Amino acid sequence: MRDFAPSPDAPASPAPHPPTVSEARLLSVLDTAADGIIVIDEHARILIFNKACERMFGVPAAEVVGKNVKLVMPTEYAREHDAYVGSYIRTGVKKIIGIGREVQGRHADGTVFPLELSVGEAATPDGRQFIGILRDLRPRKESEQRLADLQGELVHLARVSAIDEMGAAIAHELNQPLTALMLYLQAIRRAHSRGVDIVTVVGDILDKAAGEAERAGHIIQRMRQFVEKRDPERHVRALDPLIDEAIDLTLLGQRHRIRIDRQQGENLPPVSVDPVQVQQIVVNLVRNAIEAASGVADPAIQIRTRADDGGVVLEVQDNGPGIAPEALPKLFEAFASSKRRGMGLGLAISRTIAQNHGGDLVVEPGGKGRGACFSLILPAAAAVPDEVG
Amino acid sequence: MRVHVVEDDAGVSDSLALILRNIGHTVISYPDAESLFRAPLPQARDAVIVDLSLPGISGAHLVRWLLNLAAPPRVVVITGQSQGFIDHQLRGLVPTGLVRKPLDVDAITRVLPAEDAAGSPA
Repeated sequence: MRDFAPSPDAPASPAPHPPTVSEARLLSVLDTAADGIIVIDEHARILIFNKACERMFGVPAAEVVGKNVKLVMPTEYAREHDAYVGSYIRTGVKKIIGIGREVQGRHADGTVFPLELSVGEAATPDGRQFIGILRDLRPRKESEQRLADLQGELVHLARVSAIDEMGAAIAHELNQPLTALMLYLQAIRRAHSRGVDIVTVVGDILDKAAGEAERAGHIIQRMRQFVEKRDPERHVRALDPLIDEAIDLTLLGQRHRIRIDRQQGENLPPVSVDPVQVQQIVVNLVRNAIEAASGVADPAIQIRTRADDGGVVLEVQDNGPGIAPEALPKLFEAFASSKRRGMGLGLAISRTIAQNHGGDLVVEPGGKGRGACFSLILPAAAAVPDEVG
Repeated sequence: MRVHVVEDDAGVSDSLALILRNIGHTVISYPDAESLFRAPLPQARDAVIVDLSLPGISGAHLVRWLLNLAAPPRVVVITGQSQGFIDHQLRGLVPTGLVRKPLDVDAITRVLPAEDAAGSPA
């Protein structure tokens, strides 16, 4: 192996003779390319650094040609790079060549940014050369982030909308403990002002009053947990307790009297989920089921969990009329709801959440005397508990 | 006065009974309309407090049944529901009184005057 000496006709160096047609064409291609192109030799010295690279890294080609390519890498990559090149040249094991991967680059101002790098190899009379094609990933990352943010907003908006639709029912639910609390306190006040001896019962009444205040507090707390805006998270959890909490929330002040048959599967594996988002799905499915069943003589819904094929399935089955065939194709589309209230986001958002969890939300539409059955499928959490936060 | 309270919420029912006794009434509590039907008929001089949202037979049904008795008692509806819900439920029914939750003792004594020595509430 011999040291590379920049050849006098290397494209980035001033050529002593006018470029040939093919050299001129190559120079033009290099400088027109939207992607960054860097060619290095076996010692990782830069031979070519095109215009896109100058923009990407903020240095002119003249300053970097002949220097080690490490200078456009952040320190932790730079440290390893010579070893990578050496290892490939010794062993021929390709770790990046022909594969391409996401790496990081360093701008002259010190900014480290993500790059997609694909590397090719050319055997030349001057030795082996490596051609790197680089694409700045920041615009793509930014739009991915923007998309994730928007989706998060929408998921939150749907939760707020659900609570908004349940508003009257929740107000009713809060009225109960407030009424009891007020009456307990007024009973004590009256007895006291009339000089009645209440010593024997006052402790008991105050305990009951405190219990009612606590009950009101729990209702507020449950609502707040549900509507508060938070970053998405993942926790390894048993699904059933999350479902039960969500059912409680849905039934707050529920006006339709309905039978709920709850069956829990045995030995279900835990799931890795954003608990509030999964509860959002449950609230949505149970509310829909209650509404679907409300028109029949003996409204009832079944809420079952079971293990299935390395995951957990939650089924919410109502005994309503089923889903009309014409409504089925648009069932999971946003804003396609046939309901009078709400934004028609529930099922669209629920399916999105399920899919973001690596699962899905599907429906068995029923009809002909059978109600609809929605199934939320979630994959089991990885065997190693990876509790976060 | 004898007051029948039909209310499924245990806290509301218990506190209502306490305050009603406190202002001199005799109280009989029922968790739903069905249990009131099984008990002796309320008399014309009695009052019945009915929560509009009851499990099973609805509050509105019970109110209609009570008002159609040959000698109807006074019927007071209590509810925490919206005005729209109340209007819808009570179409054509005119109870003696309607009190929206949260309740307090003044609202109760306006429709069911206190019978204790002190008269009006403190």
